[in-house]
Order: sequence, then structure tokens, then C-alpha cells
Amino acid sequence: MDPPLVNDSSFSAANPSSYTLSEIWPFPVNDAVRSGLRLAVNSGGAFSRSELVEHSGNKDISPAEESTVTDLTAGWGGRKTRDLNSEDDSSKMVSSSSSGNELKESGGKKRKICGSESGNGDGSMRPEGETSSGGGSKATEQKNKPEPPKDYIHVRARRGQATDRHSLAERARREKISEKMTALQDIIPGCNKIIGKALVLDEIINYIQSLQRQVEFLSMKLEVVNSGASTGPTIGGFPSGDLGILPIDVHRTIYEQQEANESRGSHPEWLHMQVDGNFNRTT
Amino acid sequence: MASPDKPINTDVPEKNAFALHFLQTLSNLRTQNPFNSPNKTNDRVTKIKKAAYVSMARAAGGTNRLWSRALLRRAAKEDNKIVRLRKKRVTWQRRRRNQRAPEVERLRKLVPGGGGMETSKLMEETAHYIKCLCMQVKVMQCLVDGLSPK
Repeated sequence: MDPPLVNDSSFSAANPSSYTLSEIWPFPVNDAVRSGLRLAVNSGGAFSRSELVEHSGNKDISPAEESTVTDLTAGWGGRKTRDLNSEDDSSKMVSSSSSGNELKESGGKKRKICGSESGNGDGSMRPEGETSSGGGSKATEQKNKPEPPKDYIHVRARRGQATDRHSLAERARREKISEKMTALQDIIPGCNKIIGKALVLDEIINYIQSLQRQVEFLSMKLEVVNSGASTGPTIGGFPSGDLGILPIDVHRTIYEQQEANESRGSHPEWLHMQVDGNFNRTT
Repeated sequence: MASPDKPINTDVPEKNAFALHFLQTLSNLRTQNPFNSPNKTNDRVTKIKKAAYVSMARAAGGTNRLWSRALLRRAAKEDNKIVRLRKKRVTWQRRRRNQRAPEVERLRKLVPGGGGMETSKLMEETAHYIKCLCMQVKVMQCLVDGLSPK
């Protein structure tokens, strides 16, 4: 258990007496961390959030400056954690407390809910860090940075939810999956009204299978067209074998022909077997 | 949560690239097997279908998507060719075989290369694959309509 000592040493080095708890922890925890950005926390509270993010990207803030930037890197898996480590290696000037356990947290909603709580909780820990760490011992504390302070976790869970890190990771994973599922549901027509994960997945599977069956069917038709029919007007203009001179004109003619077909409306019946065959022409 | 640098499903499938590549393959097939050749029809259908999938995988960016990589790799394996795809990312395979839902397993079998994906990644790839399949069906329909004799 490692309380965020890192910030306090630099703060007390810069100006030891001019901060209160509300100045230290006034930042909005919810938005920037949720979007995966690095949330940079200013001790003076003078920067806006975008400025903070910029500074955390620049990485060359001198620590003698009064505003020391605290990096709360919120990421997802091992990849983000790797980024975090590399950042910590490269930027020794910036005191960053990498809260690795926050990686497990996903929902912005929870973060919104628990924002004030986390502020209070960390604020209460803060004086301990200040008393234990002097201003000169910054280098030793920065070595402790990659170790995640484990006390962040209990404020991230909702009431009644499990709080060990496996449960949090599992919950984050489930939320990720459900978000992707919602995006998938928007693609598939008529899938929005279905409630239930299994039913939605069934619908997705059926849709994919029907599409693959359509591809098979269309390839059968294309086989007939491609091998048998030599009387079609476009077949004559079909450059066979020479790949260099297959221009856009080929499908332009095809599109135009299809347009003509649509306007004529004299398809054979077997050409209409596909679902909404209106193809958006780009040419 | 979709990471901000890679938003889900923003890339539109390339219709023109697919159509171009597919037409090239079709014309190649036509010159290789003339229509009075003794090849079986099923064989040609399989070839055309495979050409369609390969063209779709190429048009989808080739190596950018996991499913297109898997498709190309499978097609190359069928051709007994050695195709080197650039190694791009390592799929993190979860060891949770016993907890998997059966529907997800069925979906995994449908999406090419879905066996080794994480579930959220599988959803993302499925979304892109569905978009590309829709594009493929539309373009093929258009080709059939355009090329068929009237």
C-alpha cells in the first residue's frame, strides 16, 4: 500500500504552505480519465484541463515550477501499462503517480459517482505523505511510482460490488464487450429491439451466415455469367487476362448498365433474389 | 470502451478496390478455364467464391484487420503458397475456455481468425467483417446484374 506520496513531496518543495485539500484535488476525475487520456493534475489549479493534458504530453516541465504535474494514466491492458512504464522511464522530471489499479476501472459512470469520494479519500491520505516525505527525497519516491497504490480500488466500485482486482478487471472486460456489442447491434438491421445477449448473438450469427450464403449464391451466378455467357455486351469489353488495362470504366459501364436495368425494370426474376440490391454507385 | 485512437467501424469498406480486384481475378479465371473446359462447375464456383473473399480481404486493408489477415492466410495455405504477412500485433489469447458462452463460440467459428481473439476484439472484428460482407454482396449483385446477358 503506497499512498501517493509523490505529489506531496514536490508540492511541499515548491511551496509548502500554500495549498489546501481542495486545491490539491479539485480536478474532475471523470472525463479525461474515462477517455483514456492522461489526466494531468495541477497542484495550483491554475491550468485548465486541456492545458494539463498538453503539459503531460510535453514532459519537460521543470519541477522547480510551482505546478507539478501528476500523471494519472488510465489504461486498459498490458499495453497501456507498458506505455506507462516507458513514460515513467523517460520522464523523471514529472512526478507522476501511476495508479495501476485504476486501469481496471472502466465506467465513466462509476467514476462520476465516486469522484467526490475519491477526492476525499485521497485527500485524507495526503497529510501522511507530506509528513513522511521531505522535499529532497524526490528521486527515491519516483522509484516507487510504478507500483500502483492499491487503495484506489475501493472507491471505484459501486456499492455492493466486489472490490478485488480480479472482479474489477472482469467487470471492465464485460463492459468493454457490451459496448462493442452495442456497436455491432447498430450495424445489423432490426437488431436494436432484441433484448438479451444470447439472442443478439444469435441474430448476429444468422446475419453473417445469411451473408455468406448470399456470397455463395452470387458466386454461383457469377460462375454462370463468367463461364457461359459470351454474348453479353459487357463481356466483349471485358479485358481478359491483361491486368494493366482494367480501368474504372469497366465498372462504370457495369453501373450504368445496372442503372439502365433498373430504369427498364425488366429483370429476370432470379436476379431479384437478394435483399436490397440498391448499390450506391460511386462513379 | 473504444480507445480514442482506434474508433470502431469508421473505415468504410472499399467498394472500388474490391470490385477491381474481383474483376481481375474473374478475368484471370476466365482465361485459365474457358467455359468449354472440362472443369467441373463446383470447382469454378469454389474458385469464384474464394476469389470474392480474397478480394474482400484485400480491399479491407489487407493486413490491418485480423479477419482479413486470417482470410488471406487461409487462402494462401490452400494455394500452397507461402505468403508472408507482416507481423503486426500479437493476439492476446485468454485462457478462459471453460467459461465461454456457446454463442460466442459459434461466432468465433464464423469470423475468420476468430479463434484466438479476445471477446471484445472479436466483436470489433465482427462488426467490420459484417460491413465488408454487406459491401461484397452488393458489389457482387451489381456485377451479376451488369454482366448477365439480357
